[in-house]
Amino acid sequence: MKAALRPGDAAFANVEKVNAELFTLTYGAVVRQLLTDHEDVDDVNKQLDSMGYNIGIRLIDEFLAKSNSAKCADFRETADVIAKVGFKMFLGVSPTVANWSPDGKECSLLMDDNPLVDFVELPDTCQGLSYCSILCGVLRGALEMISMRTEVRIVKDMLKGDDVYEIRMRLIETVPEELPYKDDE
Amino acid sequence: MSTIYNIFVINKSGGLIYYKDFGSIAKLDTNDSLRLASVWHSLHAISSQLSPVTGCTGIELLEADTFDLHCFQTATGTKFFVTGETGAAGVDLLLKSIYELYSDYVLKNPFYEVEMPIRVELWDLNLATLIRQRERTSTGK
Amino acid sequence: MLGVARGRAHLVNVVDRPLPKGKTEVNLSAFAFLFSELVQYFQTKVNNVNELERKLEEAGYGVGLRVLELLCHREKANRRETRLLGILTFIHSTVWKALFGKQADSLEKATTEEDEYMISEKELLVNRFISVPKDMGQFNCGAYVAGIVKGVLDSAGFPARVTAHFVPIEGQLRPRTTILIKFSPEVMLREQRMG
Repeated sequence: MKAALRPGDAAFANVEKVNAELFTLTYGAVVRQLLTDHEDVDDVNKQLDSMGYNIGIRLIDEFLAKSNSAKCADFRETADVIAKVGFKMFLGVSPTVANWSPDGKECSLLMDDNPLVDFVELPDTCQGLSYCSILCGVLRGALEMISMRTEVRIVKDMLKGDDVYEIRMRLIETVPEELPYKDDE
Repeated sequence: MSTIYNIFVINKSGGLIYYKDFGSIAKLDTNDSLRLASVWHSLHAISSQLSPVTGCTGIELLEADTFDLHCFQTATGTKFFVTGETGAAGVDLLLKSIYELYSDYVLKNPFYEVEMPIRVELWDLNLATLIRQRERTSTGK
Repeated sequence: MLGVARGRAHLVNVVDRPLPKGKTEVNLSAFAFLFSELVQYFQTKVNNVNELERKLEEAGYGVGLRVLELLCHREKANRRETRLLGILTFIHSTVWKALFGKQADSLEKATTEEDEYMISEKELLVNRFISVPKDMGQFNCGAYVAGIVKGVLDSAGFPARVTAHFVPIEGQLRPRTTILIKFSPEVMLREQRMG
């Protein structure tokens, strides 16, 4: 669709890769551990989001350092780069960006597959588990480091019977850079 | 003699989180390096305010009599800057490589707390290798 | 969460779906960030380095159980390893290749102990970007891999004590990692009986 498509493929082609299984099974271990440590499935979801956030605030620097992406003019471009370059570079999959709000501040990332969920099925005891919550935290953390405060949540989950994974991103505000000095008021 | 004298890394709040000199004449003690980092952080911010051009991202190169200072600020607010020989070439590429090393060996380290001083063995080792390689391939100025 | 199939009409049961061929890949960085976060999470839950090691081993153990299932299924050989050397070779090459993209650097038998074997790597993939602070002594995040190996061995009927160790190598800046496997007495007895 745009020139942005190629940087994503190139970025992924040039990185060192691992078998997705190591990644998938490790994520499974993470979720298992959280389920052991927390009684409430909601707490697990929050922990996953929080862990994602901690990853996101670090991962953004690697993205910036290695992807050669130019600064985005607006949130639309940002979402595009996230889907075509960011996701592709790290996970090898490229979600579709869709369902834009009229003000251009809210959109969805859609995918029918991602490496976190291979071989996974939610047992009845964990129906409230939002297995891919970590992705929401990663996005939120990464964007916050480049001055965008967002709300990111999962609205459709294939592990719960939906036909697609849908992550909804909403731009709350762009936070201007803080200066180390202030004019006296 | 090395064409790169010192490497500094400043976190987004202006705190010095890494300083290394490369056997140079321009060694700084701890207090001096902290002070210099703090001054540079403010200077850098002021420069983008002073700029008559909109969208200025701050000082990238400072040329002095006896050294050049090259600075790179990431979109996340971290600053990498090096002092080196006047007219030293390829420093921008060097700064970019340093940023990549940071994203690999500092940020992926579970024992490193973000924004804190960097005390990471693999970062030191790889940075030293990077500088050594550069010195070996540089063609003399 | 390899689970038992549930009967929900609009969901394809996980056991009915074809097994992925194992050729999908992700960026090593994705794994590294996730693993780093797991270590950081455990650090908030433990009081000392030994406990951290235990936690990582336990996490790896669950992975080991599942890796064996996965690989045995995929191999289709349906041959169960019954000899020590067989299972060790399986881990050293098949398991390692599946998880880390290559065979382990070496598999050796200990010289002084009959029941000890060592799988060594110049650098474990999981440690690629990790620098352990000096004040954590000999702590090795490879405890996760030790856990994986233990999970595979236990599941295959070869209970053992498995630990990860840094071993300094002369002339090398960075130590290599050895996964030390000490088989249980019943395994050694059985092996002897088999001749």
